[in-house]
Amino acid sequence: MDIQYIGEQLLWGKIGNLLVFTAFTAALLAAISFYFAIRNEDKTWRKLARQAFAIHTISVTGIFALLFYLILNHRFEYVYVWEHSNTIMPLKYILSCFWEGQEGSFLLWMFWHCVLGWVLILTAGEWESGVMFVISMVQVFLGSMILGVVILGYKLGNNPFVLLREHPDFANLPFIKMPDYLARIKDGRGLNPLLQNYWMTIHPPTLFLGFASTVVPFAFAIAGLLRKKFSEWIKPALPWTFFGVMILGTGILMGAAWAYESLSFGGFWAWDPVENASLVPWMTLVGLAHVMLIYKHRKRSLISNYILAIATFFFILYSTFLTRSGILGNSSVHAFTDLGMSGHLLIYMLFFLVLSAFLLIKNYNALKESHEEEHLSSREFWMFIGMLVLVIGCLQITFTTSLPVFNKLFGLNMAAPTDAIDHYNKWQVPVAIFICLLIGIAQYFKYKKSEWKDIRKKLTLSLMLSLLVTGLSAFYLGTYRVHYYILFFASVFAVIANLSYIITILKGKLSNSGASIAHIGIGLILLGALVSNSKKEVISRNLKNVDLGKDMPNKENIMIEQKIDTLPMGSYYVTYSKRETEGVNVFFTIEYFKLNPLTGNKEKQFELKPFVQLNERMGNVAEPATKHFFDKDIYTHITYAEIEKAKSDHGEEGHNHEENEDYQPYKKQMLAVGDTFITSNSFVILRGLKKDLDRKDFELHDSDLIVGADLMVQDINKTTYESMPVFVIKDFSVYTKTSVVDELGLKFEFSKIDPGTGKIELAVAEKKENKSDFIVMKAIIFPYINILWIGCLFMIIGSLIAIRKMLKKVRKADNI
Amino acid sequence: MKKTHIIAIVIIAIAIGAILSTLADSSTYASFRVAEEEPSKTFHVVGKLNKDKPQEYNPKVDADLFSFFLVDNEGKEKQVQLHKAKPQDFEKSEQIVVIGKMEAGNFVASDILMKCPSKYNTSSEDMKAVTSQR
Repeated sequence: MDIQYIGEQLLWGKIGNLLVFTAFTAALLAAISFYFAIRNEDKTWRKLARQAFAIHTISVTGIFALLFYLILNHRFEYVYVWEHSNTIMPLKYILSCFWEGQEGSFLLWMFWHCVLGWVLILTAGEWESGVMFVISMVQVFLGSMILGVVILGYKLGNNPFVLLREHPDFANLPFIKMPDYLARIKDGRGLNPLLQNYWMTIHPPTLFLGFASTVVPFAFAIAGLLRKKFSEWIKPALPWTFFGVMILGTGILMGAAWAYESLSFGGFWAWDPVENASLVPWMTLVGLAHVMLIYKHRKRSLISNYILAIATFFFILYSTFLTRSGILGNSSVHAFTDLGMSGHLLIYMLFFLVLSAFLLIKNYNALKESHEEEHLSSREFWMFIGMLVLVIGCLQITFTTSLPVFNKLFGLNMAAPTDAIDHYNKWQVPVAIFICLLIGIAQYFKYKKSEWKDIRKKLTLSLMLSLLVTGLSAFYLGTYRVHYYILFFASVFAVIANLSYIITILKGKLSNSGASIAHIGIGLILLGALVSNSKKEVISRNLKNVDLGKDMPNKENIMIEQKIDTLPMGSYYVTYSKRETEGVNVFFTIEYFKLNPLTGNKEKQFELKPFVQLNERMGNVAEPATKHFFDKDIYTHITYAEIEKAKSDHGEEGHNHEENEDYQPYKKQMLAVGDTFITSNSFVILRGLKKDLDRKDFELHDSDLIVGADLMVQDINKTTYESMPVFVIKDFSVYTKTSVVDELGLKFEFSKIDPGTGKIELAVAEKKENKSDFIVMKAIIFPYINILWIGCLFMIIGSLIAIRKMLKKVRKADNI
Repeated sequence: MKKTHIIAIVIIAIAIGAILSTLADSSTYASFRVAEEEPSKTFHVVGKLNKDKPQEYNPKVDADLFSFFLVDNEGKEKQVQLHKAKPQDFEKSEQIVVIGKMEAGNFVASDILMKCPSKYNTSSEDMKAVTSQR
């Protein structure tokens, strides 16, 4: 029997499904037609291919728009909408939920491929068919990721338009039989709180545009092999490669900014597998960009061009595999969960790897070069070395990141290095040193051959200046470990040498100095990363415990009681003044003061409001707040706060005391005479037991017993109070008389005597307002982190200038 | 010998170095039993929180010490002393990985990873909750 469900809008899903299938089929058609168009002079294949690609683009855009519409209108009958959004979410995060899930992020990726595809169709000229064949093939694979059809018992991809009641996870749940289930769903599950950050609206699109742009040099390389024009592809592909370097680099750095602003680990880079997975293709892409330049100028290293173009695209696919197959499991905080696509992704990866390897081997003889070796004093030699250093860096990162893959392949049980950051730095700091030195010197070499004397002369000043700066920094910033000194020197040298190159050799002509500006950017990024990280200072020093050494950093968190504590942190005094709840966020106001030496007063400098986002389902998430200064950042993070204040964790079951509204539950302890114990606000001493009490109050007989516990209570200000709870046995029944110290909000009850040991049981209840609010926080100063962000800007601007110049050259060549 | 050969040898040497150092630095997923046998070595122990036993976090005394009882995958239970602040929403964690070593019968951990209820695994429970409301 069919159930008539109420309130569903199924038409959208039907259109959506139609578009999903159209997108896939059209991509397949485009791929086939572009393939035939490669060798056919006749333009009909190309025309057909373009039409197919147009239909594909319209479908992808349509899916995009439709899904967006559904999320915007909270159509929770669709699983994707229900899983990733809810009604209380601010509008600005709607986009973030779009790409929180796998389906949405694949769509975003496909969408960028479509955009890049059209730019290529319009500009690539004779390369159009070959390049678009590869891109269409990639679209076929990506399109299959959102198909969601079952073929021979294997589910191919995940469709974003699956209905909630049709999703296999919910197959046997009662709501499927309720016609009005939609009305019962109050809200969607919402967005992961970590992603509710403005960076998350721009980081994924940028990163995916970077991912998408790596396909272009790859497609050119494959097209070169297919058309047997083995080297002509390099020139038109060059601007694309630099575009990829810029966009992917920007995307990665945006991710770092997001981690810095909203994740709790206190830093911008943690060598997390997901971060590594996008860094590695960027590094190979940079390597590719440089060997392309070598080929352009010297017609050498052709095979390296191919290998790096293929490797870059392969690493993009591998990174997709790592982050989406669920294989990282425990080892990463932000890997996607498994959607059962690992097999699918593996085929995708192997297909392109085998295809390119086959074409490369088949044409190997035509690619072989024979010529004399590069001269040691040639620019291409040092660029090549730089590329190799990058590749070595990639190998190391990939190997460690792939540990979970090796575990799976060989049945091992290896875990990531205990101190992952240390492990990676050990390798990547030397890589960075070499790269910086090469960045500094390589431009001074001419292609082919240069005069050593000349180079020495030009570099001496930069070297001296860099040494001077390094020396001064040691004086000013304090000491480092030795290899940090070297990196400091190397990155400063990269900056100064490139600056001097712009001034002395390019004569300050900016339109020619794209490369130098971008290289200055890289130098600054590494310098900023080095200084802010190696000189970061945890100012929330916990002084209450034993120092366990470097391997067990246990002195980084500090407790502050609301309105009571003013704790010194670094050069500041810090208080916790307020707790406010706004919507799903609980804000904690942390005020920073500085001592004015003239007046002796503590003057308020600024306040920060780190918060905890309450999320019943995914767990509460604390987000740091950071005060930015010109020369440093002060990062403040709540590491612990009692969120559910009303809930008491001291309550013991089976208590027979009457519960008083104003008091927290009793806490019991066994005491001998002379024992002390502490409450939240005082010391209590059991001075003795008094038996000579007035028996008349209780109308006691001689055989009955009355004992009083003589308590001395001393508060923080050393004021003492006395208290005497009484324990009575009358006619073999127990009575107690509680005693209250009103000033301290304490209530004592003498509840038991242990005849064997002579100890007594004393129960203490504290007034609820006694329990003052407190937080545990961490504060870190990151000095000179702005150098890093300025470096990012330089990198982007420099790349833009370089790309502009290359495009001009390509256009000029076209016009001739 | 050609320069390319020298370069190739250098690269291979460095690559082998990278692999060896990764193997040397990498830790092992293990149980408390294994960790007890080699008290000087650092391990990743995977387990579940024993919610019936007390957890102690007393930031007034030490904000960087939190202790709880963990049952590893072999069913062995140990007290874990974590030298960090108590993680947010600790009780909600489904699975816990602690990184550290055995010391005097306790597992002393420098770091903790928590696997919180994954979005996909519990969505059917979520739906049960949603539709049983009324």
